[in-house]
Amino acid sequence: MSGILTAAVHPTIPDLITFIVAGLMVLAGAVGVILSRNPVHSALSLVLTLFGIAVLFIAQQAEFLAAVQVIVYAGAIVVLFLFVIMFLGVDKRENIESDPLRGQRPLAVVLMVVVLAAVIALGVNAHWATGVHHLVGRTGTPASNTARLGRSVFTTYLFAFEATAGLLVIAVVGAVVLARRPPESTGEADLEESEALGTGSDADGELGDGSAAALPEAAAAADESAEGMAPAGSEPA
Amino acid sequence: MIKPTLVDQYLAIFLLLVVGVLFAAGSFVASATLGPKKKPSGAKVAPYECGIVPDKEPPSRFPVRFYLVAMIFIIFDIEIVFLYPFAVIFRQLGSFGLVEVLIFSVVVFVSLLYLVSTGALSWGPAKRLQSGMPSRTSESTITRITAEADGPSTHQAA
Amino acid sequence: MSALAVVTAHSTIVLPHIRYLAILPEIVMLGGAVLLLGIASLVRRPLRVTVSTVGTIVIAGTSLGLALWQWADISSHGPYTAIDHAVVVDGFSVLITITVACAMILSALVGDGYLRREGVDGCEFHVLAMVSATGAMFMGEANDLIIVFLGLEIMSIALYVLAAMNHRRAASGEAALKYFVLGGFSSAVFIYGVALTYGATGTTNLTQIADFLSHNVIASNGVLLAGLSLLLVGFLFKVAAVPFHMWTPDVYQGAPSPVTGFMAAVAKAGGFAALLRVFVSSFGTLQSDWRPILYAVAVITLLFGAGVALVQRDVKRVLAYSSINHAGFVLLGVEAATAQGVSASLYYLFTYTFMTIGAFAVVTLLGRRGDGHHDIASYRGLAGRQPLLALAFAVLLLAQAGAPFTTGFLAKFQVVDASVNAGSVPLAVIAMVSAAIAAFFYLRIGLIMYTPVAGKGFLPGIEPLDDDEANAGPSGESETDGTGDAAPAELSAGNGQRPVWSGTEGAVVVRTQLNAELLLDTAPGEVQVLDPSEDIVEADAVDDETAAESAAEDTAKVPVPALAALAIGLCVAVTVVFGVIPAPLIDFAHKATLLFIP
Repeated sequence: MSGILTAAVHPTIPDLITFIVAGLMVLAGAVGVILSRNPVHSALSLVLTLFGIAVLFIAQQAEFLAAVQVIVYAGAIVVLFLFVIMFLGVDKRENIESDPLRGQRPLAVVLMVVVLAAVIALGVNAHWATGVHHLVGRTGTPASNTARLGRSVFTTYLFAFEATAGLLVIAVVGAVVLARRPPESTGEADLEESEALGTGSDADGELGDGSAAALPEAAAAADESAEGMAPAGSEPA
Repeated sequence: MIKPTLVDQYLAIFLLLVVGVLFAAGSFVASATLGPKKKPSGAKVAPYECGIVPDKEPPSRFPVRFYLVAMIFIIFDIEIVFLYPFAVIFRQLGSFGLVEVLIFSVVVFVSLLYLVSTGALSWGPAKRLQSGMPSRTSESTITRITAEADGPSTHQAA
Repeated sequence: MSALAVVTAHSTIVLPHIRYLAILPEIVMLGGAVLLLGIASLVRRPLRVTVSTVGTIVIAGTSLGLALWQWADISSHGPYTAIDHAVVVDGFSVLITITVACAMILSALVGDGYLRREGVDGCEFHVLAMVSATGAMFMGEANDLIIVFLGLEIMSIALYVLAAMNHRRAASGEAALKYFVLGGFSSAVFIYGVALTYGATGTTNLTQIADFLSHNVIASNGVLLAGLSLLLVGFLFKVAAVPFHMWTPDVYQGAPSPVTGFMAAVAKAGGFAALLRVFVSSFGTLQSDWRPILYAVAVITLLFGAGVALVQRDVKRVLAYSSINHAGFVLLGVEAATAQGVSASLYYLFTYTFMTIGAFAVVTLLGRRGDGHHDIASYRGLAGRQPLLALAFAVLLLAQAGAPFTTGFLAKFQVVDASVNAGSVPLAVIAMVSAAIAAFFYLRIGLIMYTPVAGKGFLPGIEPLDDDEANAGPSGESETDGTGDAAPAELSAGNGQRPVWSGTEGAVVVRTQLNAELLLDTAPGEVQVLDPSEDIVEADAVDDETAAESAAEDTAKVPVPALAALAIGLCVAVTVVFGVIPAPLIDFAHKATLLFIP
């Protein structure tokens, strides 16, 4: 057992290779998300990032977390992202040259540098006293790892576990309420309201216009297809 | 007893990954070598191929129901994530764990009931009425016809 | 492998003992909501508003009763923690539970009339509100950062959806989207704070964090301070304190008015409850670190909220900025970080619940059908038309301004007193200055209500009818152009559908009236346009008020449903009675603080 402990403290060559490869996957995916012109490619790059994180989890002996990461995030959530991209239209060319906010990009770069510097400074100066229970080395097989998690869920975090049921119910009800077609929607009233709400910023106006533009067509199709939603990009015929 | 390195343990998964990548790459290579070399003309790839080149993109309609189903999948996915650790230590927890999981599942099950009753999971062209949706009235029939008269694009089946 | 499996199998799990009384109000609230949802799913037609309202009031009332039982229990047996120390039942948590249950009952009363008026059927409004209330209760009794986070999320997600409840207003969806994006961001910041705090202390349990910090002097506590500040950001967003207030005016304005009242009361109660518990009890030893931050936040919150409210023209926006100002006052009590400060904050939260829900109940009624008439000009002459409604609103506004003989005055007095005793005299002075500024805009609304309408027309520069005029005007015509003959037909289909399902009054009559309205809608005439709908509202309402005799929209009386009147009456009664007889409520908050588990 002690051999394993030292192995965990001083990473072996395979561990190091795993870490470097997974780290490169994460970084390549992250860069791909922001550099891809096509939003679908961005979403697929995100899968690469999430997969790399799953590999890192495995390297840390968090097997259950890795499985959840792949199943829930890479499997389901990215699919949800792809749905949204399809709704909004893949072919639509977004004008990404002009900023909604003036000076947004330089500010973002400055902010990124500052945050990165702060994180590196924190990492280098790693003498923060913490109350973490020192647990170095393997906690056991993947099965016992999951068993430990189950134990936590049913003892310390039992109440949190049950409360999560409420959260899931609210998510279902919320999704249905929001996705349901309004029984009576008239375009012009909506436009007026949103203009009244707008505080003058561009984003407000766009939101109002977009929904109003989509609504006449949507209302026309309301009876034909109860849940059919016209994408915002399509023009009313 | 315990595998000392990760490589042995995850070699199978890694091999699967390699096979997957090879298959994808092989598909590309195969389609490039076996497929017709000539690129189809613009008129050929246009929708309907009826000879008239459309002057604008056909509005593609995507029922929001697809999204709803994907969303609901995630919610029940998360429920499964909770059930898996329970299954691993099921025997040690005994009836206590069973009762707790049943409470959890029943609460989430009610949301499934709600989904079925609102018709969020019903499929196909025959629409079930959602709560809050009116039954077909004379006005709505008029709307439907006029919507069809607008053009075939708006009436494209979901 | 086998050896480990044996080890795992033989180690027994110490199962937590569940003391059901500890979480009974929450069980009833959440279980009731789920039950209502189940019943609504099993019956074929959408649940009638009456059924949902009665169900909600019964459930919330039971929850309130159980909370009072808890109060009696801890008064005699003392506070305790339960379910592996995940929740704590003390005076503090019970007071928050009571506050939230009261807010739920009042909101259900107000929401009833609103849902009828807007023709929203089904149980979703009530289910979402009850689950949201449960989330706030979780925040009040959480003894673990994970529970705080879950409570925060349950409360917030339900509120995002509630804000989008009114499908017919794009503003409602826009408000929900803004709230959701910013709220999701703040939740992410919060959970990052939880992670860092866990890293620094080795536990998420609030009692254990307090233990750890009292037994260990951390020389280099950067991680802990980073976690603490991120937690603070998450809380301050929820309670709408100033650097994190951006969402408040738009969301308050865009959300349906009863939801706004509920949101103002419940989100503040839950947010401040968790803020107080986490910072005053768990991070009490780090007071010197977080008190200056809260000091600065309180100063800008007080001044900004009061100052910007002065120049608002929309009553809901005024109330939104006033809620920011109130958040500043509660922060005074938190900043004091003493027992007196906690007691004052609790008292403030409890009384503010009644003041704000009552005020938004009046706003709901005056918003009329469509919930769009919130311009301050449309309140002109209200006292002449509906003196009781105007009086109630005036009382609630004066209470918010801190007029004597109301709970508002006592609440402000107590937080300022606590602040002075804690040594933050300049802060207390700033708070009083901001109260004086705030009195202006409360009085402005009051004065406008008591100013009679000059003649039949309106004052120049004020366009009370701009919404409706625009509805019937250019945009309506452009739509007709765009879709040809389809527009009137589909509009009538759209509007005619609803009463068929509300099914209370004669559906046929209602539909013809709506069609008449739509015919008028396309004509250039403006003033009488919404008259038929006014009649429908009158018919729908439970009230006995006579129909408005005037043709002009804004000088017409608004119907006051009996349940909404009851809610407003309750709010005014609590505000005034406990303002005149302050002892019971102050003792209540004081005792709640005495029973506070550190």
